[in-house]
Amino acid sequence: MGPQHWRYTIPLRLRSLFRRRHVEQELNEELQFHLEKKLAEGIARGLSPKEARYAAMRAMGGLEQRKEEMRDMRRIHWLTDFLDDARFAIRSLGRTPGLAAFVVITLALGIGMTSATFSMVDALIFRPYPVPHPSGVVTLVSTTQDKSFDNFSYREYLDIRDKTKSYEGVIVYADMEAVGFSAGPGATPRVRGGMMVSGNYFHVLGVEPRLGRGFREDEDQVPGRDAVVVLGPDFWKHEFASDPSVLGRTVRLNGKEFIVIGVAPESFPGMLIFGHPDFYMPLAMARVFSTNLRKNFFEDRDDRELNVKARLKPGTTLEQARNELAVLAKNFESEYPKVNRSRSAAVYTQFETRTLEDGNWKFCVIFLILALAVMLVACTNVAGLLLSRARARTREIAVRLAIGASRFRLIRLLLTESLILSSLGGLAGIAIGYGFVEWFHSKQNIIFMTDLPVGVPFNMDTRALLVSLALSVVSALLCGLAPALQGTSTDLVNGLKSADVDVPGRKRLWGRNMLVVAQVSTSLMLLTASFLMARSFQHSLLDGTGFAKDHLLMVGFDPRLEQYSAAQTKQFYKLLAERVRETPGVQSAALTQTVPLGQDGLDGVAFVPDGFQMPRDRESFTSAMDTVDEGYFETMGIPVLRGRGFRVSDTAEAPRVAVVNEQFAKHYWPAGDAVGKYIRLENGAGVPVEIVGVAQIIKYQDTREKPMDFVYMPLAQHPLSRMTLMLRSSADPLQLVLPVKEIVRALDANLPMLQTRPYEDLYLNMAVKGPQIATDLVGTMGAVGLFLAVAGLYGLVAYNVSRRTREIGIRIALGALSSDVLRLVMGKGLMLVGTGTVIGLAMGFALEQLMNSMLFDAGGVDIVAYVIVVPSLFLVTMLAAYVPARRASRIAPTQALRYE
Amino acid sequence: MSKPSDLVQGTLDLLLLKILALQPMNGWAISLRLKSISGDVLQVSEGSLYPALHKLEQEGWITAEWKQTENNRRAKFYSLTRLGRKQLESEAANWQRLSSAISQVIRLEEA
Repeated sequence: MGPQHWRYTIPLRLRSLFRRRHVEQELNEELQFHLEKKLAEGIARGLSPKEARYAAMRAMGGLEQRKEEMRDMRRIHWLTDFLDDARFAIRSLGRTPGLAAFVVITLALGIGMTSATFSMVDALIFRPYPVPHPSGVVTLVSTTQDKSFDNFSYREYLDIRDKTKSYEGVIVYADMEAVGFSAGPGATPRVRGGMMVSGNYFHVLGVEPRLGRGFREDEDQVPGRDAVVVLGPDFWKHEFASDPSVLGRTVRLNGKEFIVIGVAPESFPGMLIFGHPDFYMPLAMARVFSTNLRKNFFEDRDDRELNVKARLKPGTTLEQARNELAVLAKNFESEYPKVNRSRSAAVYTQFETRTLEDGNWKFCVIFLILALAVMLVACTNVAGLLLSRARARTREIAVRLAIGASRFRLIRLLLTESLILSSLGGLAGIAIGYGFVEWFHSKQNIIFMTDLPVGVPFNMDTRALLVSLALSVVSALLCGLAPALQGTSTDLVNGLKSADVDVPGRKRLWGRNMLVVAQVSTSLMLLTASFLMARSFQHSLLDGTGFAKDHLLMVGFDPRLEQYSAAQTKQFYKLLAERVRETPGVQSAALTQTVPLGQDGLDGVAFVPDGFQMPRDRESFTSAMDTVDEGYFETMGIPVLRGRGFRVSDTAEAPRVAVVNEQFAKHYWPAGDAVGKYIRLENGAGVPVEIVGVAQIIKYQDTREKPMDFVYMPLAQHPLSRMTLMLRSSADPLQLVLPVKEIVRALDANLPMLQTRPYEDLYLNMAVKGPQIATDLVGTMGAVGLFLAVAGLYGLVAYNVSRRTREIGIRIALGALSSDVLRLVMGKGLMLVGTGTVIGLAMGFALEQLMNSMLFDAGGVDIVAYVIVVPSLFLVTMLAAYVPARRASRIAPTQALRYE
Repeated sequence: MSKPSDLVQGTLDLLLLKILALQPMNGWAISLRLKSISGDVLQVSEGSLYPALHKLEQEGWITAEWKQTENNRRAKFYSLTRLGRKQLESEAANWQRLSSAISQVIRLEEA
C-alpha cells in the first residue's frame, strides 16, 4: 500500500467520514435498486408480490447486516465509533461536572508540573546541539586526578586536530567572555559576550550563516592578522535592527577594529546551555581577548583555555576515537612530562558531557523525582475517583453487557472517557507548564546577575508539548484502565438486581487502599523535601557569611576592554585605589578578583606544601583562590586570626607571600602554625610562597557550602586584568557611585564601569532570592501533593461511607452509638494514614540523604522537619477522614434503610 | 460477515474485477452476469456481492458513478480504475500460477 494507493483511498475515506449521510443514502438507494429488480424478476416468474419480496430479502441475507458489513468496509468505523464514544462520554461527564472538573484540575497539576520539569531537564541534558546531525558531535576533554573535565591548550588542540583520524573535523572554542563592544571609535564600549572559535567552527558543525559567510580555515592561522567577526542572531537583531548591510561594516571589539563578515542563523544560538554568544571571533585574534596575562596563549602547552569538540567520521565508533585519543594523551605525557604528568584524555557523547561535567543533572534528578511524585499522586487520585464512578455505573454497564455489548467495546468506551478527561487535563497542564516556565524567565535576572547574554533555557517547545501529550495519554491509561477493567467484569446477575449491590470485594478495596497509602506517603515525601530545603536555607542565612555585607559598593573594571598593557593595567589600578581612598565617605577600599558569593567561578591554584611528602601518583594539590590587594581583609571585615594581611610592601619584587584560611591551615598543618610555612606553586620545584597570615573562613561561593580550603594572593605579585573595586562607605553606598565615576573618567573616559551596585543587592539575589526560587518550587510541589492526597483520602472515606450507608443504618437501628460508627469508619482511614506515614517517612529519609549528598549539606537528619511535617500531615488527613465519618455517624436509620 | 464459503477466498475480488474490466456495470447486472458466466459452479450470494463491491471501491480499484438505466432509473455503475487494472493483472497472474501449480501436483499424484 504505497503512497500512490493513498491518493485514491484518502479522498474516499474523507468522503465516508464527512459526507456520512450522503454515503448512507447512496447505500440505501443501491440496495433498493437491487431489491426492486429482484422483485420484478420474481413477479415475472409468477410469484405473488409478497412472496417475491420475501424471496428477494432472503437472497440478500438480511438487509441491515449487509449495510453494517458495507459500513465496516469503509475502514473508518474505528474513527466513527470513537466519535460516537466521545460524544457519549462528553454527555455522561456533563452529568457530573464537579467530578469532571476536579479530575481535570488534578491531572492538569500533575501534567503541568511534570512537563515544566521536563522542559528544564531537557534543556540541561537531553536537548540536542542545534546543528545538523547532532549525535555525531563529541566532546574531547583533558583529565587529571582532580579534574575530570579540563580543557586543552592551543598547542594541544593543534596536535589533536592534526594527529587524529577519527573525526571529520575538530573544533575548539574558548569560554564566552566579556568583550568591550562599540559600533564606532568614539563610543564608550559596552560589555557584550564574545566567543573565540576555530576557523572551521561553523563548517564542521554544519551551520550555514544566515547572512554573509562563516570563518575560513585560514582565518585562524596567523595570529592577529584576520580581524573578522561573525554576529550571533539575537545580537544582530537587537544591535543592528536586522540590517543586512551590516556585512563589511567595522566594529570595535576591546578597542580593536573588526570587520563583520557574517551573521549566524536563528537556529544556532550557540553550543552552550545558558549562554548565547553575541558574536564569534577567530582564535588567531586571541591576543585581543586573552584572559591570562602571565601565559602565552599560542605557545604555552599548559595554558588550557579551550573546549574541544569534534564530529566523528561516519563508521568510526566512539571506542576507536577513545583509544586513539588515549594513545595521543600518553604521547603528550612522555613528550611533555612537565605539563602533562598524570594527565589523560577522554571522549564523551553529548549525554555524557552534560551528565558528567557539572551538577545540573543532580537538580534534574531531584526535581524529576518530585514532579513524578506529584504526577503519581494525581493519577492515583483520578483512578480512585473513576473507580467509584465505575461502581456507581455498575447497573448501566450490566445492562449494556446484557444486551450484547462486547466487553472490549465497553472498555473502549470507558477509556475514551478517561482520554477526554486527560486531554482536557493535558491542555490545562500545558497552560500551567507555560506559567512555570514564564515564572522562571521572570526570575532570570536573579538567577544570572551578569552583563553577558545568558538566559534560562527552559522552554515549552515542541518537545515539551509532546511530552505533555504523552503524559496525557499515559495518565488516561493509568487512571482509566483499572476502573474500566474492573467496571466491566461485573457479575451480570447481581449487577442487574439492584442499585446498591455490595459484592464483598476484598480485592477491589485492596486496590483503593493502596492508592491512599501511596498518596499519603508520596505527599509526605514531598513535604519533607520542601521543608528540608526551606530549613537548610534558613539555617544558612542564620549562620551568616563571615564577612560584613552592608555599606559596600562594588564596581567592576576590565582594562582589557581598552587594550591596556600589563603595565598600564597596574598603573590604572594603583591610581584608582589611591584616589578612591581619598574620596570623602569612603572608609576603606579594596580590589578583588572575585566577589564572595558572586557569579564568577573561583580561580584555582595548584601547589605543594613545602616539605610535604607527596603521594607517588600526585604532583600537586589544588585549592580555590582569590587575588586581592592590601585593603581587602579590612574592607570586607574578614578577621585575620594569626600573622598579618597583605601590605603595600608586598610588591612584585618582594618575596612572594600568601594568606590562607583556617581550613587550609588545619588541613596541611594540623599540629603546628601555618604562618611562616611555605607552599610551592605548581609542583615541588615551583616558586616558594610564604604563608604570612591565616584568615577566618567565610562563605565563598554558596551560603550552604561546607568549609573549604582557600588561598589569597596579593594583586601586586599576581597581576590580573579584571578586578572588582569594593568600597566601604559610612552612608548609603550608592552615594559613592558619582564620585567613583568622576575618578574613572579622569583616568580613562572610555573605560566602562561594570556591575556597579551595592554588594548587598548581589548578596540578596545570590544567597536569598536565588535559593528561594528552588524552595518555592519544591514547596509548591509539596503543597500540591498534600492537597491532592487530602482530596483523595476524603473521597475514599466518603465513598466507603456511602457504600455502607445501609449497613450503618442497620447498626444504628440495632443500637450502635454514633461514637461506635465514628470509630468504625475512622479506624480504616487511620490505618491507611498510619501505613502511608511509615512508608512516607522511609521515602522522605531516603530523599533527604539523596539531597544532602547531591545538593548541599543540610547537616544530617533534620529532626525538626519531621516533627513539624508528620503530625501536621496526620492532622490534615485525619480531618479528611473525619468529615465523612461524622456524617456517617449521624445517619438516621429510617432514611438509610429506605435508601434506594 | 458472511463469506462466500463455496468460493476460494479472494477469488470473488478477481471475478468482479474481471467482469468490470469488460464494461462498467451496476450491481444488479453484475449479479446476473456472475450467475450466467459461472453457472452453478460458483455460487455467489447476492448478500456478499455488495460488501465486496464496497470493499473494492474503498481500495480504490473500482470507482462508482450514478447513471440512468435503460428504463430511466438511477443506478450505481461501477468501472475499473487504473489501479484496479494493475490489481487485476497481478491477481490474475497469481491465480494462473496457483492453479497451474495445483494441477501439476494433481498430475503427479495420478502418475
